[in-house]
Amino acid sequence: MKKGRVWKYGDDINTDVIFPGKYTYSILEPNQMAQHALEDLDPDFAEKVNPGDVIMAGKNFGCGSSREQAAICLKYAGIQAVVAKSFARIFFRNAINQGLPVLQSEEAVENIEDREEIEIDFAKGEIKGSKGIYKFSPFPKSVLGILEAGGLIAYTKKKLEQKKEED
Amino acid sequence: MGKTIIEKIIQAHTDDDAAPRKIVWMGLDVRSARDFGGPNVVKNYEREYSGLPLADKKKTFFTFDLCVPASSLKYADAQQVCRDFAQKHDIKVFDVNKGIGSHVLIEEGLAGANSTVVGTDSHLNILGAVGCFGQGMGDVDIAFAFRTGKTWFEVPETIKVLLKGDFSYPATAKDLTLKVLKELGTKRAALKAVEFYGEAVRELSLSGRITLCSMVTEMAGVIGFIPEFEDSFRKEIEGISKTEFNPVQADEDCHYSEVIEISIDRLAPQVAVPFSPDNVQDISELKGTKIHSGFIGSCTNGRTEDLALAARELNEKKVKEDVMLKVVPATARVYEELLEQGILQALFRAGAIISNPGCGGCAEGHIGLTGEGEVQISTGNRNFEGKQGKGKTYLASPAVVAASCVRGEIASPEDL
Repeated sequence: MKKGRVWKYGDDINTDVIFPGKYTYSILEPNQMAQHALEDLDPDFAEKVNPGDVIMAGKNFGCGSSREQAAICLKYAGIQAVVAKSFARIFFRNAINQGLPVLQSEEAVENIEDREEIEIDFAKGEIKGSKGIYKFSPFPKSVLGILEAGGLIAYTKKKLEQKKEED
Repeated sequence: MGKTIIEKIIQAHTDDDAAPRKIVWMGLDVRSARDFGGPNVVKNYEREYSGLPLADKKKTFFTFDLCVPASSLKYADAQQVCRDFAQKHDIKVFDVNKGIGSHVLIEEGLAGANSTVVGTDSHLNILGAVGCFGQGMGDVDIAFAFRTGKTWFEVPETIKVLLKGDFSYPATAKDLTLKVLKELGTKRAALKAVEFYGEAVRELSLSGRITLCSMVTEMAGVIGFIPEFEDSFRKEIEGISKTEFNPVQADEDCHYSEVIEISIDRLAPQVAVPFSPDNVQDISELKGTKIHSGFIGSCTNGRTEDLALAARELNEKKVKEDVMLKVVPATARVYEELLEQGILQALFRAGAIISNPGCGGCAEGHIGLTGEGEVQISTGNRNFEGKQGKGKTYLASPAVVAASCVRGEIASPEDL
């Protein structure tokens, strides 16, 4: 369980403001991507974010293009999880494939304030804020496997190795 | 209990039980990558699966459409990375001359009814227009699909949208689409499959079906299907794709998580106001808004019928002197049809700038951007801040964009 500070944003945060399209082929290293995370939405973010911080947002977080960089830049900025009322489908997949937990909890988003310090218990499926504890639904087994391995690539490698051993 | 269309298509591609909200491993009939995302797919593949073969080279493609031909060194490099990988693995590239990948996959008969297709284009769910389950994904997903021929997927729930009534010109399929987007917003269809029913959509041709299905992405939906069709549509799609068109239908006793009725009688032209595609108003609210530029094209409105409507409005008229109109046909096939029908000539004579086929004008970076203070009216599908530059973008039909470019302000064809 890790403590983190909340960066809270609104509904429909799109991938153009999470990672600007103009950088997609000029900035290729994940750590450099992190320096431009949320640049057009919150110029303070990249500079002031700390490892373990949490992004909270309303509905449809990550809508827009399929760019994987949107998930990568947040992960490498040190974000431990994104909590939102709902996620756009492609961002949701990309985040899981990158090993970035994406948690759905309307209650947590309603009740937790910007910059509040919170704790997330992934095993119990709980987010602990100053005013209470909020549940999120745990991941199905198959997704949990990908997240625990650290992303889809690591997961595939693990599976392929297991298969080799079986052969 | 019976199954909806998406449940049937996924069930035919998995050994797992394709029940809503279950995550299954799904087989893929086609996996593709564009010049956007493609180089990262290659990078992922070479880093993680170096020396290992593709699952099936005949089912793997590159489609270049975002920045074609490359207008910057970074895109030139990106495309070459894909070409080199393609040559090494002996896979086909639909190169910079072919047009928008999702449309090319339909025209080539690769994205057929009941099949599953993934790629790095977030509007790949356009393929729902031909009964195909198309899905855009990130580059880690696509590299994985290249290698294994499958992907993990949560079977979505399905909602049924029943469109009551019919529309007539100057309302078009785009206005119907924007109206549906206004009603559904980004929440009601979120993460769901959508089946559209009603007389108005049954009569749609391929271009209208593509328009509606493309913007299911902006509704935050997974995929949209238009199950009912006229015989004329079957002839059209079989003629283009050279494959038989027999899409599966939903069972009568299938389960919809919601049934939504939307009345479209007396539908007026609709316009989406910056900076959100679902921020839709009747054109009457916006008439007279000064514009500096117009764009007709994109995967949403770049087919022959779309451009023919624009040409019809511009016939014997001129784009206003201080307005710039950019036109980008969807594909090379569309370009040729437009030439044969004299439509490009008519658009050119009216003062339009005509580009080669592709995603230019909607995606940032090709055939120009909007500058600070510039107001653009576009047939594209997104008007997010920064998407096409620093200007503001309104979304509308090809007919409304054409009329607005004649007047220099947002206008309906009826105003000409």
